[in-house]
Amino acid sequence: MRSQEPPVTAVQQEARRRRWRRLPLSLLALAVVLAGLLALAIGVPTLWRYSGESVRHYADPETHFLHGSIGSEVSGLPVRLWRVLPDLFPDAFDDQHYEAFGFLYAAGDEASRGDLPIGLGAREVRGVEIAWFNCALCHVGTVRESPDAAPRQIAGMPSNNLDLYAFIGFLLEIADDPRLAPDSVLAAMDEQGQSLGMIERQVWRYAVLPQVREGLLETRATLAPLLAEQPPWGPGRVDTFNPYKLLQFGMSAADLDASERIGTSDFPAIFHQRPRQGMDLHWDGNNASLQERNLSAAIGAGVTEESVDHVGIERVADWLLDLEPPPSPYRPDPDAVAAGKPLYMRHCADCHGYQQGERYVFEGERLGQVLPNDLLGGDPARLDSYTETLQRYQLTLFEDDERYRFRHFRKTDGYANLPLDGLWLRAPYLHNGAVPTLYDLLLPPADRPQAFVRGLDVLDEEKGGFVAPDCTPGEPLAEGFCFDTSQPGNGRQGHDYGSELTTQERSDLLDYLLTF
Amino acid sequence: MSEDVIFSPLAWRNLQVKNRLFRSNISGRFDNEDGSLTQTRINWECQFARGGVGAIVSSFVPVQMEGRIIAGYATIHRDDFIPLWQRLGEAVHRFDCKYILQLSHSGRQMDLPGVHNQHRRSLSSTDHQESLHGFLCRAMSEHEIERTVQAFADGAWRAREAGLDGVELHAANGYLFTQFLSSAINDRRDRYGGSLANRARFLLEVIRAIRERVGPDFHLQVKISAVDHNDILPWERKGNTLAESLQVCRWVETAGADALHVSVGSLFPHPLNPPGDFAFDTIASTYDAMLSAGTNTFRNYLLFRYSSLRWIFRWLWSRHQRGHAVEGVSLDEARAVRQAVDIPVISTGGYQRASLVREAIASGACDAVSSARALIANPDLPKQWQVGQDEPARPCTFCNKCLLNAPKNPLGCYELSRFDGDHERMIATLMSIYDTRPELRLPSVPPAQNP
Ligand SMILES: Cc1cc2nc3c(=O)[nH]c(=O)nc-3n(C[C@H](O)[C@H](O)[C@H](O)COP(=O)(O)O)c2cc1C
Ligand code: SF4
Repeated sequence: MRSQEPPVTAVQQEARRRRWRRLPLSLLALAVVLAGLLALAIGVPTLWRYSGESVRHYADPETHFLHGSIGSEVSGLPVRLWRVLPDLFPDAFDDQHYEAFGFLYAAGDEASRGDLPIGLGAREVRGVEIAWFNCALCHVGTVRESPDAAPRQIAGMPSNNLDLYAFIGFLLEIADDPRLAPDSVLAAMDEQGQSLGMIERQVWRYAVLPQVREGLLETRATLAPLLAEQPPWGPGRVDTFNPYKLLQFGMSAADLDASERIGTSDFPAIFHQRPRQGMDLHWDGNNASLQERNLSAAIGAGVTEESVDHVGIERVADWLLDLEPPPSPYRPDPDAVAAGKPLYMRHCADCHGYQQGERYVFEGERLGQVLPNDLLGGDPARLDSYTETLQRYQLTLFEDDERYRFRHFRKTDGYANLPLDGLWLRAPYLHNGAVPTLYDLLLPPADRPQAFVRGLDVLDEEKGGFVAPDCTPGEPLAEGFCFDTSQPGNGRQGHDYGSELTTQERSDLLDYLLTF
Repeated sequence: MSEDVIFSPLAWRNLQVKNRLFRSNISGRFDNEDGSLTQTRINWECQFARGGVGAIVSSFVPVQMEGRIIAGYATIHRDDFIPLWQRLGEAVHRFDCKYILQLSHSGRQMDLPGVHNQHRRSLSSTDHQESLHGFLCRAMSEHEIERTVQAFADGAWRAREAGLDGVELHAANGYLFTQFLSSAINDRRDRYGGSLANRARFLLEVIRAIRERVGPDFHLQVKISAVDHNDILPWERKGNTLAESLQVCRWVETAGADALHVSVGSLFPHPLNPPGDFAFDTIASTYDAMLSAGTNTFRNYLLFRYSSLRWIFRWLWSRHQRGHAVEGVSLDEARAVRQAVDIPVISTGGYQRASLVREAIASGACDAVSSARALIANPDLPKQWQVGQDEPARPCTFCNKCLLNAPKNPLGCYELSRFDGDHERMIATLMSIYDTRPELRLPSVPPAQNP
């Protein structure tokens, strides 16, 4: 070692002395500075990464409808988690992906490649891509003209496959499942080759995943008591307003009146929205504004006042204005159709409008108006599930924004007369889907099937609607869901307008209806 | 013109002066490393004698090598320097001008320690380093104090032996005497610290020692800072007040001083001494000479060097200048001193206009004034006054460039505007005192002694 030269000046000597005295302090300062720099180097990009939001834009409106976001992500799950759930819970998924719950995949999409099913919109919120429901979840279904045919996806028809009750039940079920712990989720991600960076891994372990689980537990606490009380919805059905009361307005299941607790009904078709403007919308006709009905449906899908993406929703709404159902594939005997049409015009057109060749005519004295259930005699559960209390709550929504403030909701006393465009895609029928085919609908309620299989998409060539064999509730089925009309809310009564007709008349009328 | 008070002679106890204008203490690095003075200094002093000042108070003349502020200033620590000072006295006397030698000791305020002093901490009243530049120091032992008192007495004796007209103790502006006097600096616990009387003890001992050594009939004046204003850095204490200084002045008179020379400030330079501007560009070009001298010099250099940082120092400096005129900056303090004592008082600080000087003396605020920068700019200022001019045609602007150049460059006026922007002329003026025409002497052959 080279020996240090003696200092030349007193100042140098003092500087040397101070250097040693200050060494610990200098080292400390250096450490603090380095730590600060490190924190900055990591912190700034991380903050940048985990701030703001961005959403994917789809140029084509139909793709936007299928995959775009409407702002429901606040209620949603991270996309990375969506991708691993089937691997984590193979029993619940039957070793499939989301099709196990009746989700559909768009043509060309591949669940195994990480593509998400139709009906989920994604948005990156604070650095985490989150996906949740959009309009397409409940309004895209499939049909097959024969059991061997490939299913044909039709946007705008009810989601006849989707078992939302089962899916939500699954999510609530796994809220406290050990497999949802960060370790196992991260391992599953690794296995899938979803690569997480070092920092991202920590963010997921300590923030994202715990937050997801907390959200699920909270939803479970709110929603599970209600769902437990309801008969399973079965595919193609949803209770629109009751979860909405609990999740959006913070009511508790116990607060709900016994009569309002089951509001399960069919997903509706959403073709031809333009002519529907001004009609009483929703099954019970509780709102005549398309815009409010759309926004309310979006809230049902998980959108909140804060998260709502009005542009995204309006883009879907605009596209739906003139969305046409594909023409009916049924080719009934033209003579029978010709004979059936006058019958229809006499008995039905007033309330429902009518089909004229390729075109549906939205005209009728009482078309789109609520018919008191005293006259209609349908199952009242759905009607009763919408209450004045809920209406009052709804009228507080978007109060701060005149453009979106809810004004039109009202409590009605019946069900609305709906146009029947695209009728061939809308089975099972009635608001609660309690009648499997058009043929059955024309029968006196007592003669309609008591229990039948839902969730099949093969067209019934004779009866109109989907093939729906009789079933015995409680007995296992190879496929589909045994819908029991004796369960509360599932009643097949009401809309008894075919019983006065003769068998021939009914058959002619049915043939005409098959052209819708 | 003879009734002009400026040119009325002074007849003090031990000193007669032809007029009331003294050349205040200034010097450059004109002299030899060993402290012997040079022809250049003689040339320098003669400019002012020729210009008509009644007396010249020398620059800072250390009584010991360890009390130098800047190597290159003549000292009076050796007997063999007596003939040199004698020569200087003779030179000045030819102009009917008196020469008073400023006996000094830097204490810790040592700007350029040089080879003699750089290796050690300088001596002071305290162990605490100087606040502005961070000059290091240590507190003197009583024995060292004793030695220093003796050195002052010896210095005075040498001045007298050299035929000079008197001595001045540099007890102002932050040098060793101030370091003892100031309550802001002196933190001693022995009989040289604490009470005002204790703090003044060193100065008074020196005065008495000088009187003992040179007798009562040799002119002895004391330059004193009437107020310390020590808090240039806001966290420093203010130091001595005027009242404390007046008490010191009374003691000084009693101890045997003949006159007082009144300045201000416990540091040098100080915002109020010499008053005026602070030429950042100048100091940025010269302060580098002092970089190795203190522990805070580099910090200061940055403050001087970078225009974006200058506001900090400008603020510190100008804080103390507010409300003070440059001309006659400490006349009020001089007046207070003169009222407190029965010996004559010289006031320094910003004297350039005859009318102001006349009024100052006529009003009884002081008996004489001393001028430094006005005379650097115009050595013939007294002559100009004498012919009735109130102020020179090219007056000193009090820019302080002469002062800020001092650590590195020859002393003189650096205000280019005074030379109509002609750099050559400015340099020529600066160089005029180097006209030494030496008779070069050949060192003797044997002995081959070194040196
Ligand atoms: C360059 C320069 C050097 C000085 N050197 C000394 C000195 O050695 N001793 C001293 O007591 N004062 C010294 N002073 C202070 C002056 O003697 C004088 O008191 C002060 O500058 C105020 O007078 P003025 O405004 O006429 O310049 C110096 C001033 C300047 C500008
Ligand atoms: S440089 Fe010249 S003008 Fe400036 S203060 Fe010194 S003597 Fe006066």
